Amino acid sequence: MKKIPDKFFVSFKKLGSGIFELFHSIGEIVVFFLECLKFAFLEKFYTRIFLKQLVKIGFNSLPVVGLTSIFTGMVLALQSYTGFSRFSAESAIPNVVVLSITRELAPVLAGLMVAGRSGAAIAAEIGTMKVTEQIDALKTLSTNPYNYLITPRIFAGIISLPVLVFLGDIIGVFGGYLICTKILNFNPTVYLQNTYNFVEFLDVFSGLVKAAVFGFIITFMGCYHGFNAKGGAQGVGLSTTYAVVSSSILILLMNYILTSFFFKL
Amino acid sequence: MRKLKISVKNLSKDFENKKVLKKLNLNVFESESLAIIGESGSGKSVLTRCIIGLTKFNKGQIQYNNISDIKKLNEKNKNNYISKFGILFQNSALLDSLTIKENLKIAKNLIDFSDILYDVALPESILDCYPSDLSVGMQKRVGIARAILKEPEVLIFDEPTTGLDPIIARQINLLIKKLVKQKKITTITVTHDMDSVYEFADYVAYIENGRIAWYGNAKSIKNNNNKSLKNFIKGVC
Repeated sequence: MKKIPDKFFVSFKKLGSGIFELFHSIGEIVVFFLECLKFAFLEKFYTRIFLKQLVKIGFNSLPVVGLTSIFTGMVLALQSYTGFSRFSAESAIPNVVVLSITRELAPVLAGLMVAGRSGAAIAAEIGTMKVTEQIDALKTLSTNPYNYLITPRIFAGIISLPVLVFLGDIIGVFGGYLICTKILNFNPTVYLQNTYNFVEFLDVFSGLVKAAVFGFIITFMGCYHGFNAKGGAQGVGLSTTYAVVSSSILILLMNYILTSFFFKL
Repeated sequence: MRKLKISVKNLSKDFENKKVLKKLNLNVFESESLAIIGESGSGKSVLTRCIIGLTKFNKGQIQYNNISDIKKLNEKNKNNYISKFGILFQNSALLDSLTIKENLKIAKNLIDFSDILYDVALPESILDCYPSDLSVGMQKRVGIARAILKEPEVLIFDEPTTGLDPIIARQINLLIKKLVKQKKITTITVTHDMDSVYEFADYVAYIENGRIAWYGNAKSIKNNNNKSLKNFIKGVC
């Protein structure tokens, strides 16, 4: 009988341990989520920290979300014109801009921007607290770290992201309006009328639901990776990277799932 | 008559196949100041973390007053148990994002912190500062103030003089000595600074290879017969 080469076993072992690690991580995330859920409604709510986080995650992210939205709206108007002018459908540009912005681009881009900005900051802050024993200190001071650190951040994320996206919708549509009226010589009244007549409640609402889900993903993954940071500065750096990468991937995945859901409505 | 406060029996703790504590036994008595000494990495801090309940141990038993085994505590009782300890962490572990006043308020919601600041010889002007605005020595003092504010049953000092210059280290030692004698709280100090041991310890436990290699009165430590402890005290390689 022919002997199976050792390389085969090594590769098989690597594959097995990789799958095992994946399920182990998923299990840990689920346990962490259940712990957060358990303490979120049972124990003290730190309103002051929640308000601070609303400012940090929401208000302080407004410039970056605003800039992203306005440029996206402007680019969208220009690109749509390039395509639509080839078959004389320029009048559909306001419709495309408002639909793309509200249903898709504002929530996803705001989500990715906030993940890079606030998700990383949350992971770095909590990670540093973990490796410098500040979280242990909280425990010895009869303060539940889940309630003190995680619950206010997650609630702030869930609330501030839809507000950011709603503002992003307005700014993005305004970006398209600027390009169309100032460069492409559209009639401003007709442009706004077209936008207003075309957009439906579900277009905006679906974007806001997505934003709330993305807000949860960003803050939850930031807290989870920060809370599980190990070692020193390198460990904190890794937790920050994992937080941004995992929340970005989850945002894109959940975006598809939610889009499919709203597509059927 | 010495009254038993904490009893550690056959405590074992592994970290990824590395055995840090090996069936370690130790008793801590009420109102006494115990110093745990040993080389870096010998498991001193791990032992205190196990006692506090911050680190799970693999085998053994920790008894605290009438709690027969802290491992069997449910979540609520465990939180109550942890809150019996006041701890000065190795790097003070003050919350960076809060002012000194807010840090102290977590321990006890007072309006006036002048008494506690007087106890640890700090000016009231630091209350509105952030931890990063203070020197390491001042941060340690705030850490001590925070630990004693909640009136714990046991005080734990994890390497209180590490990273300090000899003058500040001596000041911290004198401060701990004053608190230990004044408040008569059970105290466990993890250190490799022999000056701390001579200054305020009643008893000393020397850890070597995950076990207590020597335990005795602090006054008799210089007359011990343990070769590695003698080398440790003299700083001989």
